[in-house]
Amino acid sequence: MSVTILETIPLNKPMDNTTHFGFKDVATDDKQGLVKGVFDSVAGKYDLMNDVLSFGAHRLWKRYTIASSNVKAGDKVLDIAGGTGDLAIEFSKKVGESGQVILSDINAAMLGEGRKNLINQGIFGVDYVQLNAQYLPFESNTFDCVSIAFGLRNVTDKDQALREMHRILKPGGCLLILEFSKTDSELLKKFYDFYSFNVMPKLGGLIADDEDSYQYLAESIRKHPDQETLKDMVLEAGFGFCEYHNLSGGIVALHKGIKT
Amino acid sequence: MQHFVLEQALNLLIQNGSIDIKPLESKVIRFTLVDLLPDVNFICTNNRIFVNSDTSTSSDVEIKLRPNVFFALFKGEDLTDLLRQDKIHIHGDVKTAQLLVDLLSTTELDLEELLSQYTGDIVAHEMGKTAKKIKQVVKQSPNPLEALKDGLSELLIQPKVSKKYTNSHH
Repeated sequence: MSVTILETIPLNKPMDNTTHFGFKDVATDDKQGLVKGVFDSVAGKYDLMNDVLSFGAHRLWKRYTIASSNVKAGDKVLDIAGGTGDLAIEFSKKVGESGQVILSDINAAMLGEGRKNLINQGIFGVDYVQLNAQYLPFESNTFDCVSIAFGLRNVTDKDQALREMHRILKPGGCLLILEFSKTDSELLKKFYDFYSFNVMPKLGGLIADDEDSYQYLAESIRKHPDQETLKDMVLEAGFGFCEYHNLSGGIVALHKGIKT
Repeated sequence: MQHFVLEQALNLLIQNGSIDIKPLESKVIRFTLVDLLPDVNFICTNNRIFVNSDTSTSSDVEIKLRPNVFFALFKGEDLTDLLRQDKIHIHGDVKTAQLLVDLLSTTELDLEELLSQYTGDIVAHEMGKTAKKIKQVVKQSPNPLEALKDGLSELLIQPKVSKKYTNSHH
C-alpha cells in the first residue's frame, strides 16, 4: 500500500519572534526565505561542492547512515531535505519494488536536481514531495525510517520538525539525523575553524560563484545544537531511545532515534 | 563499533530468515558482560533489532554475566543450569532472557574475536579485526558488494560513541 499525501500544507506558515540565520538574528518568518535563497543559488553545483569541501567524506558519512538504518525490503522511507538524492538512491535499492521511498525537500531547485540525478541513474520508483519539515503531510505511523541529512540546521523550528518526524514514524521506526556537529579535539577544532571561515567561502566563490552561501554554511554549523543537546531534543520530541555516533572526530554526528 | 557490527549481523540474520524475533517484539533487553563490555540494550521492534547503549531507559529484563559464562551459553550450556549455579543474573522476565539466548546462540559471529579487542593489543590489531568482522558480515549478506561497501565505509570513518554519551539524561 502506498503512502497517502494529505492535503497541501503551506510551505511558509507565519511564526513569531526572531531566530538565527548563520550568525545574524533575523525575523523567524524571514529565515525560510533566506535559506531558500542559499539553496536556489547552490543547487546546480551542490554535489560538486560537497565533494570538494568535504574531500569526498560526505559520501562515507551517508553510506554509514544508510548502513545504520536497518532498512529492508518493503519498508517505507521518507528522506527529508533530501536535496540531490544521495540517500534516496541508496534507500530505493534497499526497499526494492515492494517498498517506497519519498524524496522531499522544501526547495524546488534542490528537489529538481535530485529528480534529475535519480532519473540519470535509472531510478524511477521514488516519489517526490516538496514540503516543510515542520508540517509533514503524511498520516501518523506511516514510515519505517525517516532521514534528514545536513538539513535540520536549516529548519526554523527544529523541535516542531522532530515532533512531526516522530508522529509519522511507525512504532519501532527509526529516525536518522546526519548533521554537522562539534568536535572535542582542540587541534581539529582550530584547523576546522580556519578551514570553515577562510577556505570554504573562498572555494564557494571560486567554484559556485557564491561566497556568501558558503559563509552561511560555516556559520549555520556553529549555531546548530551540539551532540548532547540534539540528543535531548530528539528524546523530548517523544522518541524512546536516541544515541549518536561521531564521525570524523565529531565534525559530523549521526543521531539515531527509535520510536517506541 | 561493536554495536554497529552486532546490529548489522543480527538484522542480516533476521532478513535472511535465519532467526525469528517476533516472540521478542517490543522487548528491551539490557545485557551486561561484566568487566568487558559496557551495557547494551537490544531493542526488538518492527521486526528488527537495534543495539543501543542508552542505559538510562527502562528494560523488560536485565541479564548480567561474566564473559566465560557468555561463551558457555554459546557452547550449549543450559540457561537454567547456569541460573542454578548463580553464574548468571537475570532481573525481569526470564522467558524473554531465554528467547534472547536462543537467538544469540544461532548466530555465526565469532564473538570471542569480537570481544577480544578489549583484552589484547587494541591499536595494533584493530584494523585487521575489523576487516575480519566485515568479512563475516559480507559472507552472510544477500548482496555481498553492498555489504562490503558499507563495511569499508564504517572502517574508514571509524565512528565512535562520544565520551559525553555516557552522561545520563531524562
